[in-house]
Amino acid sequence: MWLPILGLLIGIFLGLFTEFRIPDAYSSYLSIAVLAALDTLFGGVRAHLENVFNEKVFLTGFFTNIALAAGLAFLGVHLGVDLYLAAVFAFGVRLFHNIALIRRILLDSWFSKGKDRKETQ
Amino acid sequence: MKNRIIVIFTIVTFIIGFMIAVQFQTTNEPERDTRSLFELRQALTTEKERQAELNREIDRQLELLYQLQQTEDVEDVMLDAIEELREQAGLTEMGGPGIIIEVKPIFDESYEGGAIRTVPPYLLRMLLNELNMSGAIEVAVGNERIITTTPIREVNGVTLINGSRMTQFPLTIKVLTNAPEDLHHAVMASQSREFFSYENFNLEVTPINYVKLPPYGNTLRVRYMNPIKEDS
Repeated sequence: MWLPILGLLIGIFLGLFTEFRIPDAYSSYLSIAVLAALDTLFGGVRAHLENVFNEKVFLTGFFTNIALAAGLAFLGVHLGVDLYLAAVFAFGVRLFHNIALIRRILLDSWFSKGKDRKETQ
Repeated sequence: MKNRIIVIFTIVTFIIGFMIAVQFQTTNEPERDTRSLFELRQALTTEKERQAELNREIDRQLELLYQLQQTEDVEDVMLDAIEELREQAGLTEMGGPGIIIEVKPIFDESYEGGAIRTVPPYLLRMLLNELNMSGAIEVAVGNERIITTTPIREVNGVTLINGSRMTQFPLTIKVLTNAPEDLHHAVMASQSREFFSYENFNLEVTPINYVKLPPYGNTLRVRYMNPIKEDS
């Protein structure tokens, strides 16, 4: 449970201390990629809680989503259409949806645990 | 199986954390200073000049303060100070060595176009800037003294300076300077002379031992300044 959070913290520290920077022109692609990654992560967490987690689906989804989002943003820049908004919208909606489902599942399990404890007493 | 899932999640969160950190650093990066060594030196020189000027000003004010503290009769010192300030603001008549520039229209045989009524304001601004660059102390265009707030604009095709029309030809520009000969050469070789000629104007410059500049005639209106209190 704590290992993924530790991984996140290590990633942030490493990113901050390696002084690794990307050119300004590409920062919008990276932000879209971050959004896609977060969406996939929460999707994975939800699937895990629903017991339908498949690591192949998760890993391929993670990388293709990032690549697709960045590619879409790139295409949008070259076509003069704000296509990245489509990615932002899609990932944003899914992100909220996933988080809501995760919350429900966690709430359900928590309440059912409480009920079980009461019944056993 | 369970461990594998956690490892996968850890890798993914690690990547996300790294991306977020990089993005954070990229967006928080301060504007890079891209000035070259030469530009930096120039900026440094400007700042040094500014500092020297401020120091001079402080010295002057301290001296004034000292005088005020020493003398019993404060009024004289204050009157002197006011007179000096009036001189600085251009409210007094001033005279001294300088040059006189006469702007005349020239018509050659191939001239096409309408009558020349006035000197365009952009030319006057350019000339004034060049004069100030070359060591002019005070300038008067026509009968109008140029002060800090003097507007030079065009209204209905006529150039107005301090609200007066500049339609008379030749237009005389009187300049007060410490080195009339140098300024004379500077104007003769200046870029504005060339630009004046494009608009069919000729500049005639004469250095002179004594030139008298009229005072600023209108009332100075101070609209956006307030005196501050002693303790604030």
